[in-house]
Amino acid sequence: MAKGESPLKQFEIQPIVDINFLGFDISFTNSALWMTITTAFILIFFTVPFLKAKKTNSVSDLYPTRMQVAAELGFNFINSLLADTVGKEGKKYFPLVFTLFMFILFGNLFGMIPYSFTFTSHIIVTLALAMGVFIFVTVLGFVKHGVKFFSFFVIPGLPVYMLPLLIPIEIISYLSRPISLSVRLFANMLAGHTLLKVFAGFVSALGFFGILPLVFIIALTGLEILIAFLQAYVFAILTCLYINDALHLH
Amino acid sequence: MPQLEQVEFFISQLFWLGVFFVILFTVLTYITLPKIRAFLNQRDNFVKSHISKQDELIKKAESIIENYEAKLTEAKNQASQIINDAKNTAIKESEDLMKAAEEKIQLEIKKTEERVAKEKNTAISELNDQLKDSAANFLSKVTNIEKGNINL
Repeated sequence: MAKGESPLKQFEIQPIVDINFLGFDISFTNSALWMTITTAFILIFFTVPFLKAKKTNSVSDLYPTRMQVAAELGFNFINSLLADTVGKEGKKYFPLVFTLFMFILFGNLFGMIPYSFTFTSHIIVTLALAMGVFIFVTVLGFVKHGVKFFSFFVIPGLPVYMLPLLIPIEIISYLSRPISLSVRLFANMLAGHTLLKVFAGFVSALGFFGILPLVFIIALTGLEILIAFLQAYVFAILTCLYINDALHLH
Repeated sequence: MPQLEQVEFFISQLFWLGVFFVILFTVLTYITLPKIRAFLNQRDNFVKSHISKQDELIKKAESIIENYEAKLTEAKNQASQIINDAKNTAIKESEDLMKAAEEKIQLEIKKTEERVAKEKNTAISELNDQLKDSAANFLSKVTNIEKGNINL
């Protein structure tokens, strides 16, 4: 921590272009910059390999290029995730889950680049994503089941006298979904990056023995990359489970 | 913590998040994902059509093999029949030849026997005559009776 620089300074938002629209401050910030990079990267990564679609006439045309294999991997990953959790009806929600997963995954991964900015480490961003999922899933439940959707809060096969106790619990747990979903991602990103920064501060502070925290940082960076993937996966799979709940209630 | 302190940037963050998420979602939904799906489907269809083609070819090959085997057994049967026929005719022919030869031999033997018998008879009769003659000679010399008057 050179000159008292806080390990939380990396999360500071710095405006790049000041924009004021109808009295709202919608400045293009470093957060927006990395959202741009993430979006552009995902679109290029998944679109460009398939632009020159060859007609498969012979067996040799069947061999996908390396980039196609990589893109296919992501596609099939989300495809099987949805198929396993929601089933056949899940196909409709494939683009949503795919977008969520890739946006969070590459947001997390690009956040691991030194001097970059992790927009998923901001509670407002993760909360917006989680609220989006929550509202979508709730609306979906009402569209599919109408008023019957409220039966979701009644656990079947329970004695009637338990209901006054359990229905509020169910409702609270349902309403806390967006909070747990957003805080999980935000806290993981925050903790990981802060920890890396704190140990990075030790490297220069310890002089020669700074090699020890350096080794630790290297290992921790690997762990953080794993967490970057894992949190995106958790977010996606929970979205799938919520969709499944909304479609099938119990 | 800047996440909770920099409230002034909340609207900016939400705005740009919305913008990029919508862009990403729209482009992925209407361009990218259909392209990938079409690509995968094309490959699946190609593989499937090749598998069905392969099945067809296997069936064809099997029928060809069956045909070939049927023809082969037929040819084998024919060949063995021909061989049998040939054997039979050869045996018959050799038997015929043998029979003919035997008949010939028998005939020769018969002929020879007949000739031998004939010659024997003539020889015996000749000998008889000679004996009679010499006996007559002998008697005529002993009895002085003219040879022509002796009747044996």
